[in-house]
Amino acid sequence: MSTALVARPAPGAQVAAGPAGVTPAPRRRGLFRRVGNLRHTSPGRLELILGALITLGVLAGLLAGITGAATSSGTSDLGDRAQPLLVEAETIYSALADADTTAAQAFLAGGLEPAALTQRYNDDLERATTAISAASRLTTDGSEGAASVRTLSNGVARYSALVATARADNRQGLPVGSSYLSAASDLNRQTLLPQAQNLFRVAQQGVHDGYRNAASIVWAALLVLLIFVLAGALLLAQRYLSRTTHRTFNVPLVAATVLTVVLAIGTVFLLGSQNNHLDQADSAGSTPVAQLAEARILALRERGDEALTLAAHGSGSQYTTDFTDASGQLTKALGNEYFSDDLRGKHQAYLAAHEKVSSLDSGGDYDGAVGLAIGAPTSQTFEAVTAGIGSALDERKAAFTAEIGAAGRGLGLLAVLGPIAALAICVLAGMGIRARLREYR
Amino acid sequence: MMRTRIGLALAGTTATLLALAGCSGDSSPLPGSTTAAAPGATAPAQAAAPDTSCNPRASLKPAGALPQPGHMPAGSYMAEIQKRGRLILGTSQDTLLFSSRNPFSGKVEGFDVDMGRQIAQAIFGDPGKIQIKVIAYDKRVSSAKDGSVDIVADTMTANCARWKDVNFSSIYYDAGQRVLVSKDSSAKSIDDLGGKKVCAASGSTSLDNIGKVKAKPIPVAKAAFGDCLVAFQQNEVDAISTDDTILAGMAAQDPYAKVVGLPFTKEPYGMAMSQAHPEFTKFVNAVLEQNRANGTWTATYKKWLGAFGAAPTPPAAEYRP
Repeated sequence: MSTALVARPAPGAQVAAGPAGVTPAPRRRGLFRRVGNLRHTSPGRLELILGALITLGVLAGLLAGITGAATSSGTSDLGDRAQPLLVEAETIYSALADADTTAAQAFLAGGLEPAALTQRYNDDLERATTAISAASRLTTDGSEGAASVRTLSNGVARYSALVATARADNRQGLPVGSSYLSAASDLNRQTLLPQAQNLFRVAQQGVHDGYRNAASIVWAALLVLLIFVLAGALLLAQRYLSRTTHRTFNVPLVAATVLTVVLAIGTVFLLGSQNNHLDQADSAGSTPVAQLAEARILALRERGDEALTLAAHGSGSQYTTDFTDASGQLTKALGNEYFSDDLRGKHQAYLAAHEKVSSLDSGGDYDGAVGLAIGAPTSQTFEAVTAGIGSALDERKAAFTAEIGAAGRGLGLLAVLGPIAALAICVLAGMGIRARLREYR
Repeated sequence: MMRTRIGLALAGTTATLLALAGCSGDSSPLPGSTTAAAPGATAPAQAAAPDTSCNPRASLKPAGALPQPGHMPAGSYMAEIQKRGRLILGTSQDTLLFSSRNPFSGKVEGFDVDMGRQIAQAIFGDPGKIQIKVIAYDKRVSSAKDGSVDIVADTMTANCARWKDVNFSSIYYDAGQRVLVSKDSSAKSIDDLGGKKVCAASGSTSLDNIGKVKAKPIPVAKAAFGDCLVAFQQNEVDAISTDDTILAGMAAQDPYAKVVGLPFTKEPYGMAMSQAHPEFTKFVNAVLEQNRANGTWTATYKKWLGAFGAAPTPPAAEYRP
């Protein structure tokens, strides 16, 4: 048994035996009493007031720094990470969906892949891989988003390998090429697209959280409250001084008050403007961006379903069902205020063309249906729809970027100037009160 | 391509529902049929006692001479097809030589498709009046049974289990199952492939037959035979086993593959039709009869399968008493 254990007194015994345990209490009482006793003398009261003002000033400075830094970094995170991730996720989805549709159309066309479709497929794949590497920089390790990005980047490599084999086979006239294309399409629709959609959902949640972080509502509220308390304390101190010293104004304290009011106005203005711009960024930026992006996804789903229905050659009823589902949702989504009537009209025109394709196909005119579906007029009608959605989307992205830029403006200034102003207030308060204190020496 | 496996889940559900309803699924041992064993146990049970309750080669005897094209007897199913303006043929699009999509033209063509075109010729006087509907291998029986296609010509083995749900035409081709392995494989037949993965299309008799081999290879099911070749080329499976002619079509596409062993099963191909219109089966048999006699069958064989040697005599028609 160790001596240390023997030497240690039992917890119960300590209170009775150890004077050491009792001493802090009187000392604490002494400190409190001494501070408390200050209020009975005039210089003591002045010291108390000075102590309170400096405490409030330091706290206000600290909070101004924290709030400025938190809102500023939250806003730039929203603009630099959360929102770009949403955009990249949508790009990944639309590029992959378009690649699948393009591959299916090239298959329908028969013969050697038309050069325009090859080019389009290559562009799609390039857009997808670029967006995937951008997205991987925007997700944190171990997050759900990062897992989706990893699956996507592995999957795209496999996807492009399958399509490359399909092309090589097709080039040699081997029918197995179509089986490779089928395997690629399955990989795309069953693994890649759901992962891209998951990433989109994660990014949407990220934007949502980003707005909360950017507003840092608790810090901002505390800061504003504290500045008002500081201003109140300064006014009370001046009232006390003017009553006890018969001097109407204490110049340094007046200056401190003015500075506090300036700080209050500046803070409220900056945070108010930030909030205002964040609201704008949300309602005119990221909310419509998400809605418009979903509309584009739905449109691409329609076109993909159409091509796959034909490619399935009569065994594609699941695509027909999916088409109906997607077009119902898209018609609703196109009701969005940021879409023009012209765009809605174009979508109706595409649906009419699709109706004709279906009736040709079900009427036994397969070649006619394929010709109409992948022919120039239908392709142009459909591309007008996606282009219309795309330009509306670009407008909203620009609105978001502008609003976020405006929201972030001045927040860095708050983080720097806020503490400096608070320090100046402390110094001024010290000067004003010390001048009175000196009179008691 | 592009029959996706999204559909497979649905197909699976449908198959289960069908099984529960006591009608036919598609794979040959039919659940709820007179085969006593439970569905899971049917394959080995069949290996012990193949369903010999019928002569699968025997179809319905044609009634008299063929009507003139374009003048189908009123009230017959052929008249209905004639009214519609096209014959709906159910087939696949990745079985090279029998029914596969020509990569150059995008059209589905082959021996099976020509069989269908000859029926269209007999009905309309025009072989082009045909609509090709690609169906999954495991949908061949149900598609013919529920009338979603008029006739199925898709390397389909006529057997007694399937005869319970559909009518077959007389036999138009005799195939036998063999096995395709990679060029450097030492396997001489399917018996050397114990424990190896061997692919076949789900719902095909080939898949059932792999399960019956004594050496116990591991059967791997894919939606279509084209997918088996993809799996083979990606080293997911060691071999593919199905009818010799289908394998020959695959070997033609892959110089690193070879077909080995003797045929270890007999796979007589028939076209499947609904039992609701026996007159149509009789009509199809009459067309086949005529084409065997006038050399059309031999010409079709030469066109698609001539690379395997001279055309044999066409399989003789057998009819039920």
